[in-house]
Amino acid sequence: MEHRQSFWENLVVVAIALVLIQTFLDDFAVVAGWAWAPREVLLYVGLALDVFFSVEFLTRLYFSFIRRRTGIYFWHERGWIDLLASLPLVLLSSGPAALAVWSGSTIALGRASLLNVLKVVKAIRIARVLRLLRLLKVFARIRNTDSTMAQRHVAKVATLSVTVLIATVMLLGIVFSVFDVPSLETAYQSRITTLLSTVEADLDRGAPIDAGELAARESSLLAVQREGRTVFSRFDSDYYARQVGPNDYGFAERGDVRLFFDLRPVNRDQSRSNLIYFAIIVVTIGSLLFAYSPHFALTVTDPLHVMTRGITEANYSLEVKVPRLYRDDEVFELARAYNEHYLPLKDRRSAASADGFDLSMDDVQGLLDD
Amino acid sequence: MAKEHDRARTFVSRLLANPALGPLTPLQREEQIIQFLHVNAAALAPTLSTPGFFPGASWSQSLSLLLSALVEEVDVTLMPRLEEILARMQFGFVALLRPQSSGGERVRDQIREYLRGVLRRMDARRVMTGPLAAVSYGFVDRYCDQMWARKGYSHFELTKVQRLRLGREEIKAMIEATLLLKPIVCSGSSATAGLAEHASGVVQAQYAERVVAAAREALSLAPEELIRSAANASVSFQENRYIEATARMAAILSWRCRSYQPNMRADRGADSPDKSWLSVARRNYRFYGFDVKMIDELYSIAAENGW
Repeated sequence: MEHRQSFWENLVVVAIALVLIQTFLDDFAVVAGWAWAPREVLLYVGLALDVFFSVEFLTRLYFSFIRRRTGIYFWHERGWIDLLASLPLVLLSSGPAALAVWSGSTIALGRASLLNVLKVVKAIRIARVLRLLRLLKVFARIRNTDSTMAQRHVAKVATLSVTVLIATVMLLGIVFSVFDVPSLETAYQSRITTLLSTVEADLDRGAPIDAGELAARESSLLAVQREGRTVFSRFDSDYYARQVGPNDYGFAERGDVRLFFDLRPVNRDQSRSNLIYFAIIVVTIGSLLFAYSPHFALTVTDPLHVMTRGITEANYSLEVKVPRLYRDDEVFELARAYNEHYLPLKDRRSAASADGFDLSMDDVQGLLDD
Repeated sequence: MAKEHDRARTFVSRLLANPALGPLTPLQREEQIIQFLHVNAAALAPTLSTPGFFPGASWSQSLSLLLSALVEEVDVTLMPRLEEILARMQFGFVALLRPQSSGGERVRDQIREYLRGVLRRMDARRVMTGPLAAVSYGFVDRYCDQMWARKGYSHFELTKVQRLRLGREEIKAMIEATLLLKPIVCSGSSATAGLAEHASGVVQAQYAERVVAAAREALSLAPEELIRSAANASVSFQENRYIEATARMAAILSWRCRSYQPNMRADRGADSPDKSWLSVARRNYRFYGFDVKMIDELYSIAAENGW
């Protein structure tokens, strides 16, 4: 039973390591302009991991429920992070993206207007930030100190910082979207809307559509079709097959004219932001793990551990090391009292009563039984 | 009776083999077991009076059997250890202290015989616990080398105040000899009463004088300075400010090593074992009768060297 549990725990750790690599590469691939094939693989890996973590969350939730400790799991054992980093991603990010690829077109997005398409794309890409919450799951599994108190405190600080950062990013993203705060996307939308108005006006006037002129005006215009026939294409078919995935473009229709737009600059911009958030979170967690955690141990848990041993073990009489810099901390004030009053008293008592030994009845139980 | 004695020896030999006692010296192990037997008397007595051990024996009878078996078992390792220590010790200082003396070898033999005799007493064995550990683990070398490098208070006390016209190695040997002869305080009929005066094992200066007088016969070849140093190693420096520096040094090291555990590692956040012990000793110097300036210097040495 323990072996099986250990296997699943190790599998989760491996999955977390994979998800970190996948999250980084997923955005890096967009920024670096990787071909579609490797990005497609990353997309499926991302979906598989999101599904895996959704199943993991549901399983943990189920077992916590049957053990009547759902509240403890959800609030105290950070089940809410498990939730945020699993199901919403399947529903908002990797799921729709994979569905679009499976359907072989931009059906999932393409039925809406281009403006709506952009909003959906934006929401999906912001949701990807939630993946970074998985870093906290890694954090929970790193044990660089023996103290559960140190682990809990540092984990709490990490959870708070990362959650606040992600929530702020998402909230501001939504607010900016609702209030149309100028950005690369709004500028992009504005240019495309102007272009579509031109097409609409030309169609109303019965004037011919000059695709070449439109493409010269709008660099993101990939292709123009009229009555199902391609009248302009910026790249050849081979390029589209190799470089452009279903999530990389959107289209809009005006009459019998269908225009395809390149969404990669918008995606690239969002991925760049995601990479920045990723780096901030990795550095934050790294500094908490490797700088704050040892500091917490040095100034809180280690002195407490030494004092606990000194009080509970007859043979243990090591003093607490009091760093000059922190000597006025309450913990070290207590430690000084322990060093200067308790230990000398214990030593005198030990000399008088000759107590303090390494043998216990447990050590001789075998002898007595024989 | 012989059967019960064998059972007692088997029992204590298995106790001595307990891994928890592994790194300790024979006398430290003995002391641990004696304390263990006393503290757990209520739990052990019913089992030890069963037919498998000492049928029908009272607790005091069982304890007596166990203690005599314990001493026998411990002596199996203690005596060779003492032989080894005495064999490697240099008694050259004897000739330097008393040019007309009969030589170091004969003093060594006399000390050996004296220790064999005095260590039959349980109180002497208890006093010997710290000195044996101090000599076994090289504490004298460790601290004296540093004291010579610093040429501070302790060095001054040894060479100028005590006026030992000896080299470093000879003084180290004399401190080791002082340590080994510390059980001298248990010789004489009223020795136990003298020891019982104080929980820290400190005896009155007048009592130490009587001990010196009594020991002169048994240790006739040993220099007076050594006997006096060994006796005064149990006298409080607060009572007698003229105690030999070798005696003060031996008093500190024997107490330090009484509970010394060679494999003890300082936890993260804890000070090193010697530094911790000496820091506590600085605060308890009156209780133990230590020379606080000597303790201060040893503390600095321990702190500088991470001991």
